[in-house]
Amino acid sequence: MALLEVKNLTVEFGSEDKPFRAVDSVSYSVDRGEVLGIVGESGSGKSVSSLAIMGLIDFPGRVTADSLTFDGQDLLKMPAKKRRAITGKDIAMIFQDPMSALNPCFTVEAQIMEALKVHEGGNKKQRRERTLDLLNQVGIPDPKSRMTAYPHQLSGGMSQRIVIAMAIACQPRLLIADEPTTALDVTIQAQIIDLLLKLQDDSDMGLLLITHDLALVSEAANRIQVMYAGQLFESGPADSIFAAPRHPYTQALLEALPERSTGNDRLSTIPGVVPGQYDRPKGCLLAPRCRYANDHCIQDRPEVTDFNGRDVRCFYPLNDQGQPTGQATGQTAGETV
Amino acid sequence: MLGFLLRRLGDVIPTFFGVTILVFLMIHLIPSDPIQMMAGERGVDPARYAELQKEFGFDKPLVVQYFNYLGGVLQGDLGKSFVTKRPVIEEFATLFPATIELSVMGILFAVIIGLPLGVIAAINRGKWLDHLTMSLSLTGYSMPIFWWALLLIMFFSTTLGWTPVSGRLSVFYYIEPTTGFMLIDTLLSDEKGAFTSALSHLILPTIALGTIPMAVIARMTRSSMLEVLGEEYIRVARAKGLTPMRVIMVHALRNALIPVITVIGLQVGVLFAGAILTETIFSWPGIGKWIVEALNRRDYPTIQGGILMIAFVVMGVNLFVDLMYGVINPRIRHKR
Repeated sequence: MALLEVKNLTVEFGSEDKPFRAVDSVSYSVDRGEVLGIVGESGSGKSVSSLAIMGLIDFPGRVTADSLTFDGQDLLKMPAKKRRAITGKDIAMIFQDPMSALNPCFTVEAQIMEALKVHEGGNKKQRRERTLDLLNQVGIPDPKSRMTAYPHQLSGGMSQRIVIAMAIACQPRLLIADEPTTALDVTIQAQIIDLLLKLQDDSDMGLLLITHDLALVSEAANRIQVMYAGQLFESGPADSIFAAPRHPYTQALLEALPERSTGNDRLSTIPGVVPGQYDRPKGCLLAPRCRYANDHCIQDRPEVTDFNGRDVRCFYPLNDQGQPTGQATGQTAGETV
Repeated sequence: MLGFLLRRLGDVIPTFFGVTILVFLMIHLIPSDPIQMMAGERGVDPARYAELQKEFGFDKPLVVQYFNYLGGVLQGDLGKSFVTKRPVIEEFATLFPATIELSVMGILFAVIIGLPLGVIAAINRGKWLDHLTMSLSLTGYSMPIFWWALLLIMFFSTTLGWTPVSGRLSVFYYIEPTTGFMLIDTLLSDEKGAFTSALSHLILPTIALGTIPMAVIARMTRSSMLEVLGEEYIRVARAKGLTPMRVIMVHALRNALIPVITVIGLQVGVLFAGAILTETIFSWPGIGKWIVEALNRRDYPTIQGGILMIAFVVMGVNLFVDLMYGVINPRIRHKR
């Protein structure tokens, strides 16, 4: 049984009769010791789906799912108190911007010890020792003197290490990292990812790595989930997705990687932006931006289907040569600039 | 922390000079001169005029007069009242506890009611509770003190008979002032029921005086709280599995308090302005009423002294608030 099992998770905002679906029937699972990468542009519902798992979607947001189970327990059906006992202990989360993730009014020590106090109890001395251990573990130099530091006295990389220490304080079994490196310098990014992967490996945690950085995900993740406008577009093992993308969107994302466009004058891009609340296409959500889209794509919305062992949401999944299948020719009805 | 304290103290010095200069010049800005004012309609003969000028030091250059005045102020000499001929500082000291008592109660009322109202409004944003508390506080803010005080008296004192109309203590009791604070003095005395009487006399003036600061604090707390609740660290706190209560009361409120504390400090000035009205309406024997009476009698040394002392108190309170600010907000404390 998977550690985290998400079946048809939907998150809606706005009015009941005309809701906006930020996350639309997304399913995935994370096993112990597995790294699942969730990739997508800004606005594709990556963060919202992870917040839903943490139970941090507030009114007026509505979270529904066929099931949302952690270790066999349905998170959506349990009382709030029981869920809080899991949140922060068994499931922990790291947020995007470390500089704003720490409360400016409290010391590093106080913020880490707080999580320990709520979930593990023990006395102050034990908690302080554990905090020192944690700071060592996340590679904070001179942890003793950092204990009493305030967040404004720390650099971004240092803050992210503190945030990580805070998240792993209670030895979670699942760690959700929501763009953990986006706000950091490139040199620090690699360090933080290495740290996360080491921690994950050491304790056999499940890691849900949310990012828009494909290069990062290719190195770190076992499996990849590509999301677009709240929908799952493609999922499968990381290496096979990189070797042969089945969805035109994945293909386009990969082509946009700088290292893949050697020899070209310009970087390949995907024209347009992710549709928002008011400009949802009638058919496939990607249709206006897809180079292969035809009338069928514009009129009807595809469902997720199995294609060569991979989940793909496309009428015409790509073959190994990167050409659409099941379609006479690549009509370019939807190619817009 | 000591450096922070000294820096803040240093900031007060220019304000001190500014206030003394303004207050000093006041007596020279009034039409005609102070001695003729004292003499009134009877007038004064030239010989006596010169004598008085010498006595009050008005014959010297303005700058010398200022430094004489400043010297006096620093030694606690604010001059003598034209009317009672008693030293202003002495009169002030007798009456000040009554004002302090009222003001402290007023600000306590404002904070104790205003803060929770603001928090409740913020966490129920957009719901009826939010609208209710905010329209109540807007009403409170818009209500002129004299009108509000009269309404309170009419309803609670006259119609319901719950509270006394005016004064600090029922005439049935006589309490020898030891601290000057009626609540403490009555507690120390053996008179039964005196404390209850003192307390019941305080209720309406406290509400009248505290309503505007209460409304300001409630609205400020609400907006500050709303801003903080949208911060990432609140989400992080919730992700730790903390109870909503702890997230709000510890993580959010501590940060939300920073601007609120500043506003509370500023409200102390408003409170003194309000005290002048409130004390007059409730015949409260404090410095507000004292200054109003001095104004009516053109008792300039008293007015000067009273204003100067109020300015000092407001400065002192704001200094204290600045220090509190440092205690609550580590970013201020550590700034070099």
